[in-house]
Amino acid sequence: MSLRVAVCGSCGKASFPPPFLCPACGAREWREEEAASGTLEAVADRGEVRLGAVRLPQGPLAIARVEGDAEAGAEVSLSEDGDVPVARA
Amino acid sequence: MSRVTNAVIVGAAQSPYSRHPPEGTTTGSVLADAFVRVLEATGIRREEVDGLGVASFTLVPDRAIDLAWKLGLRPRWLMDDGNGGVSGIQLIQHAMRALDAGDAETIVLVSGDHFTREDFTRLVDNYNRTTAQYLAGIPHGGPNALFAMLTRQQMERHGLERADYGRLAVAQRRWAGLNPVAVYRDPITLEDYLAAPIVVEPLGRLDCVPVVSGADALVLRAGGDGVRIRALRALHNWDGQEGDGLQTGLSQIAEGLFADAGAGPEEMDVVSVYDDYPAMALAQLVDLGYVPDGDLSRFLRERIDEGRMALNTSGGQLSAGQAGTAGGTIGLVEAVAQLLGQAGDRQVSNARLALVTGYGMVLYRYGGCANAIVLEGPS
Ligand SMILES: [Zn+2]
Repeated sequence: MSLRVAVCGSCGKASFPPPFLCPACGAREWREEEAASGTLEAVADRGEVRLGAVRLPQGPLAIARVEGDAEAGAEVSLSEDGDVPVARA
Repeated sequence: MSRVTNAVIVGAAQSPYSRHPPEGTTTGSVLADAFVRVLEATGIRREEVDGLGVASFTLVPDRAIDLAWKLGLRPRWLMDDGNGGVSGIQLIQHAMRALDAGDAETIVLVSGDHFTREDFTRLVDNYNRTTAQYLAGIPHGGPNALFAMLTRQQMERHGLERADYGRLAVAQRRWAGLNPVAVYRDPITLEDYLAAPIVVEPLGRLDCVPVVSGADALVLRAGGDGVRIRALRALHNWDGQEGDGLQTGLSQIAEGLFADAGAGPEEMDVVSVYDDYPAMALAQLVDLGYVPDGDLSRFLRERIDEGRMALNTSGGQLSAGQAGTAGGTIGLVEAVAQLLGQAGDRQVSNARLALVTGYGMVLYRYGGCANAIVLEGPS
């Protein structure tokens, strides 16, 4: 149960979603890291579903479906539904 | 004064925006209508047009050449641009060089869209591959939720309340009341703004642009009389989507833009900023230097509420409507009308310089594109 994050094989910069070339050094070799949890920085409530911006430990901000009632500032655990990030309190 | 090109904009026109277009309306038909109207407005004959630029989300699978064929044009210069909110200024950036280089002498730029409900859903979920792969499955429901988060962050940073954003919506509606082709013209109050149904907290219905069918058109010529281009700058993907989204590429190009123009932000008589959401209109005004002390609340009270700034004088997209890609040209059409003294009841007296911005193309969390142009009316 975690979110896959692309980490540059050359300079270690993390990206989400994965790019073709590393924005920092231009390398194109990637390794995958897992982000098991993150910090919810913002939430938008659409009624049927809540979205959140989750700061990953590797640095990037991912947009996730937020399940449960986590609010901004909360630690959330991360998983994937297909390619879609899912955050839970 | 300095000038980046000899090309001039000789006229602008709009195919009227409509919430409920007549049966049989297509994207091609509204683009063709804007084309016909801009020729009528400028007195230019179809045979004189040797360049065509087209911006549209929904013209697919047709492209600029299909439109050229159906308009009976034989262009020497032809360009498609799919970059939404920056497409108008972007097409000018290319067209003015083509005119300077002699590739064409008279270029018409058209932009616009007609959406069926299915078209709109398809666009929202497939705006780009990143959206289709990482956002549509949430389901994110389109850009409203993303900009709701940005708006909330801006509110916290600048100490803003919903009513502050309302001042912009109310002021633009005041201008729209003077624009016979705006889709929403009835005046609104701050109370109306606050009472409108919430779309995604903190965004209410009056923070979101009405989607309409329609198209805009501009004509550029290689020289002669018309609206001159004093400066044009663009910077796209300036922060690689790694920022907070509340600063746009305009923050990096503003200084050079005004240096090229030989005039500062306060010398602009008319300003059109891309207003997909009030928060992004404000972010661009900050980036451009209109709020040097960062006090957006005071700026909104003293400059916008009291009508001391001619901002989005057509009513902007918030009141005049967002005809898809035409959102990237609506500010240009208004600026050209103002500089040519053709803005009717909303004419800003002695309008000589205008600033127009483009913003948009949500890559993942916020818009990745930004550009701006300074225009000067004929003396
Ligand atoms: Zn790297």
